[in-house]
Amino acid sequence: MPQPPKTVSNLLSRLCPNYLWESIAGDLEEQFMADNQELGLGAARRRYAWNALLFIRPGILLRNKLKINNTIMITNYLKTAGRNMAKRKLFTFINAFGLSVAIAFCILIYLFVKDEQSFDKLHSNAKDIYRVEEYAWRTFQTESKDPYMQSAYLQLALAPTLKEELSEVKFATRFNGGWSQVVKYQNKIFIEDIAFTDNDFFKMFSFPVLEGNSELFLLEPKQAVVTKSIAKKYFGDESPLNKILAVDIRGEQDYEIVGVMDDPPTNSSFNFDILIPQENRLYYERNMVNWSSFNSPTFVQLHEGSSEQQLLTSLIDVRDRYMKENMERDKEEYDIPEDAIQFEYRTSNLLDIHLNPDVNWHKVSDPQYSLILGGLAILIIVIASINYISLALTTSASRRLEVGVRKSIGATQKQLIYQFSFESVALAILSMAFGVIIMILFLPTFNDFTGKGIRLDSGVWLELLGFSLAISLLVGHLAGCYPAFYLSAFKPSTVLKGGARKVKPGLAKPLVFVQFMFSSALIVSALVMYEQMNYVTTKDLGFDKEQILVVPTQYGWTDESNAAVAQMRNALQSNPDIIDVGGVSSSFNRGWSRYGYTINEENKAAYVWAVDPNYIPAIGIEIVEGRNFDLTNASDSAALIVNEALVADMGWEDPLQEHLNWREDSIGPGYKVIGVAKDYHFVSLHRNIEPMFLSMNKNDAGHLTTMLIKMRPGDISQTISEIEATYKELLQDKPFEYTFLDEDVDSQYASFEQWMKIMSLSTLFAILISGLGLFGLAGINAVNRTKEIGIRKVFGAPLLNIFVMLNKQFIWMAAIAFVIAAPLGAYLINEWWLSDFEFKIELGWKVFALTFIAGLLVTIITVTYHGFRAAQLNPAETLKYE
Amino acid sequence: MRNTYLGEFEELVLTMVGILKDEAYGNSIVIEIKTQLDRKVNLSGVHVTLYRLEDKGLVKSYMGGATNERGGRRKRYFELTSAGIKALQSIQEQRLKLWKLVPQLKFTR
Repeated sequence: MPQPPKTVSNLLSRLCPNYLWESIAGDLEEQFMADNQELGLGAARRRYAWNALLFIRPGILLRNKLKINNTIMITNYLKTAGRNMAKRKLFTFINAFGLSVAIAFCILIYLFVKDEQSFDKLHSNAKDIYRVEEYAWRTFQTESKDPYMQSAYLQLALAPTLKEELSEVKFATRFNGGWSQVVKYQNKIFIEDIAFTDNDFFKMFSFPVLEGNSELFLLEPKQAVVTKSIAKKYFGDESPLNKILAVDIRGEQDYEIVGVMDDPPTNSSFNFDILIPQENRLYYERNMVNWSSFNSPTFVQLHEGSSEQQLLTSLIDVRDRYMKENMERDKEEYDIPEDAIQFEYRTSNLLDIHLNPDVNWHKVSDPQYSLILGGLAILIIVIASINYISLALTTSASRRLEVGVRKSIGATQKQLIYQFSFESVALAILSMAFGVIIMILFLPTFNDFTGKGIRLDSGVWLELLGFSLAISLLVGHLAGCYPAFYLSAFKPSTVLKGGARKVKPGLAKPLVFVQFMFSSALIVSALVMYEQMNYVTTKDLGFDKEQILVVPTQYGWTDESNAAVAQMRNALQSNPDIIDVGGVSSSFNRGWSRYGYTINEENKAAYVWAVDPNYIPAIGIEIVEGRNFDLTNASDSAALIVNEALVADMGWEDPLQEHLNWREDSIGPGYKVIGVAKDYHFVSLHRNIEPMFLSMNKNDAGHLTTMLIKMRPGDISQTISEIEATYKELLQDKPFEYTFLDEDVDSQYASFEQWMKIMSLSTLFAILISGLGLFGLAGINAVNRTKEIGIRKVFGAPLLNIFVMLNKQFIWMAAIAFVIAAPLGAYLINEWWLSDFEFKIELGWKVFALTFIAGLLVTIITVTYHGFRAAQLNPAETLKYE
Repeated sequence: MRNTYLGEFEELVLTMVGILKDEAYGNSIVIEIKTQLDRKVNLSGVHVTLYRLEDKGLVKSYMGGATNERGGRRKRYFELTSAGIKALQSIQEQRLKLWKLVPQLKFTR
C-alpha cells in the first residue's frame, strides 16, 4: 500500500479544526490514491504535499473555535490580573521590582556582550585585514608558565617588505598608537594621543574622512591627519587644512595638517587624536635595517580571494630570508631547545584581535568576561523567577475561591493554566517597562564599572526592545509555569466548602534554599574581593606614596629633561611646603625597563631605573646597607644601588664589595654596588619582587622623565598651584600635568576593582531579590500556622516564644545554605580572581563569619515582618473559622 | 436570499452539489468539474467554498458511513438546502431574463 508523505499533513492536522480534519484528510488521501494510479508514486506524493499545504489558508484556520473563545476571555483575564495586582500592592511591588531588576541586569549585560562583539566591525575590508604577530620562544625566563611569548610588535621594515614582496598583500601599514606628546598651536598647548602610521592605513580602514584627500595622506614625512575633536579644540570653526601644528617628538617640529577624520568610536581597537607618518619615529632609519628590533604593530590587507594560509606560507619565506642569521645567533646564545619553535609569524583577523587576550593590545578584552557576566545575569534571572513562584504560592490561598468558581462554571484546567501564565507574562511585561527605565538610569554607572562607552543610539532601540520582550516572555513563562499548574489543580469540591486554608509550600522551600546558596556564594566572593582590594591599597609597599605629586617634564628622553628636574628642584627648595624633589626614568605604573645580561654564563634579568640622588629620600626607600648616590662623587655615575632580591639572586655575601657587569663590559668589572635598598614593590602586587637596580648613568640606564615631588601635609591644592607657577615660569611651552602617586599606584588594580564593583552590584541585587523570596516563604509559613499560633496564645505562650518558633526554621535554612555554598564561592573566587595576585590575603574565618552574619541578618530582617504579624493576631479572630 | 451575492466559483460549486445529489463531497466535486467543464480546480478551494456556502445556509453537510478506502475516513457529504435550491433557481431566472433582453445576435458569416 503506497503511503502519502506525512510531514505537511501532520502540520495541517494541528492547525485544522478537529471537526473538519477527517473529511479533509480523507479527500486528500483519495486524490493521492487516484494520482498514484495515474501518475506514479513520486508525483502523487508531491501533489499530496502540495495540496495539503494549500489547505493552510485563512478559510480553514479561522474556523478554529477555541482561539476565538480565548480572545474573548483575555479581557477578563486582564481585568482579574489587574485587580489582583492592585489588591496585594506589596507583593506586586516585590515581584515587579525583582523582575525589573533582573531584566535591567540582563539588558545591561546584553549591551556589554554586543559591544564586545562589535569591535572593529565598521571597517568594510575587515575580513581581508590581518594583524601579523610574533610567536617566539621566551629568551628571558619569567614567572610565566608558557615558554612562548606572543606579541603584536614586529620589525619596522616588515610592513613595507610584505607589501613589496608578497603578491597576495594588497596594502600594509604599521600603527603605533598611544604616544602622549606635547602639541602646540599658537598659545594652545596640550598633550595629545599621537599615532604613527602609513598612507595605506587610510586605504585599509574605513574611518570616515571628513576633509582632505585620503589618497595623499601622510605621503610626506611632515604631514599630520587630525580627528574632528582635535580640529575643533585647536582651530574652532576654521578649517584646519594646511594649518601647522608643532608636535614634540625628540624636539619640537612642525607638521602640516592635510586631513580631518571622524573620531574613532569607543568600540575601535585603534585610538588616536593625531596621525603622523612612521618616518618621524625615533631611530627610524636605524630600525629599518634592524631585523632584531621588534617595535611596530603591522597590519596587512590581502587581495580578495587570497587566503590567510597563503599569507602564512609566504611569511615563513620572509622570516627565512631576513632573520636567518639573527635566529642562528640567538639559538646558540640562549640555548633554545632543538624541538622548540624559535620564532614564527602568525596572523589574526582584524575582527578577532579585540577578544584575543593572548596578544597584548590597547583595550584588548577576554571573552571570559562576557561569559562571567552572562552567568551572573542568568543567576539573577533564576533568583527573581524563584521569587515570583514562592510569592504566587503564598498568595494562592486567596485565589482558591476564584479557581473553584471558575471551574464550577465550566473552565477547564487548560484554560486556567492559560490564565495564570497570562498573568505572569503580563507582570513580566510590566516589569520590563520598569526594567528598561532602571537600565537607562544604571547605564552610566555600568559604563563606569566596565570601562565601556555604550550609548543608546536610536538604531539600538528596536533590537533592545525585541531582546527585552524576549527576556520578559521567557521569564514570564519560566516563573509562571509552576504556579499556573499548582493553582489550576485545585478541586472545586474541596475549595468551595471552605475549611482549612493550608498552603503547601511545595517547591517554594527548596527554591528559596537555592536562592540562599547563590546569595551566600556571591556574598563570600564580594567580601573576598573587597578584602583583597583593601589589602593591596593599604599594604606597606616599602616606599611612601602619600603626598607625592608625579609631574612629567614633557621633554621625553632627552638631556633637557634631566636639566628640567634639576631646575625645578633648585627653584622649589626654597618653598617650605616642599620636602624634596626626586627624578626618575619612569614613575610607578608608568612603565618599566628590564635588561637581560649574562654573568658567568648564566642568563639574568633585572628591572632598571635611572634616578637622581633625591629619588630615594623623596619616596622614602630604605637603604639597608651602604649609601645613597652622591653627585659630588664622580665615580657614582658608574655605581648601582641594588635591591635585596638581586643580592639574593646573585648569592652575594657582602654586596658592597661586588660589581655587577650588566652592560657586559669586556674590559672592566662593571658597575660598583654602593648600596642595597630594602625590597619595595616597584611593580604591582600581581608580581613578586624581582631583582632590580637603580643607576645615575643617563647613557646606560636612561634619562629622567618625571619628577616626584614630596609635599608637606597641609593645603595641598595651594602647594600644587605654587608648583605649577614655578613650572610655567621655568619650562615655558610645556603643559603642566600631574597625578598623585598613591592614585597611580592604586590604578594598577583598576580592572580588578572594576570586577569587585560588578560583583558587589550583583551581590546587592541577589541579596535584595532573595530577601524578597524569603519574605514570601515566611509569609506562607505564617499563614499555615495561624491556627497553631492562636492555640498557643490561648494557652499563654509569650510573644517572643512564638516569634522564635516561627523564625527557627529559616535560620536553619540560611545556615545550611551557607555551609554548602560559602566554601564553593570562596573556591571559585580564589581560582578565578585572587590567583592573579602574587601577594594576597589568606582566606580566613573572618570572611566566612562576616558572610554568615550578613546572611543571618538578612534572614531575620525579612522574616520578622510576618513573625510579628502572625504573633500579634488575636486568637479569637484566627480560631473562629473552625 | 435576495441579498446573498454568489461569486462565480461559489455558484459553480453550488450547482455541482445539485448535480451530484447524494454523492456530493469534496473530491467528487473536483472530479465532476473536471469531467463536465474540463477545468482543474484545487481541493482546498472547493472545501473552503463548501464551508462558506454552509455558513450562508445554502448547503448543509453530514458525515457519511465509514469506508475501507481513504484510510477508513468518513466523507463529509453536502446537499442543497431549500434556500440553496431557491438561490440556484433565481440565478437561472435572472440569467434567462437578461438573455432575452439582449437584441437578437446574428452571426454574420
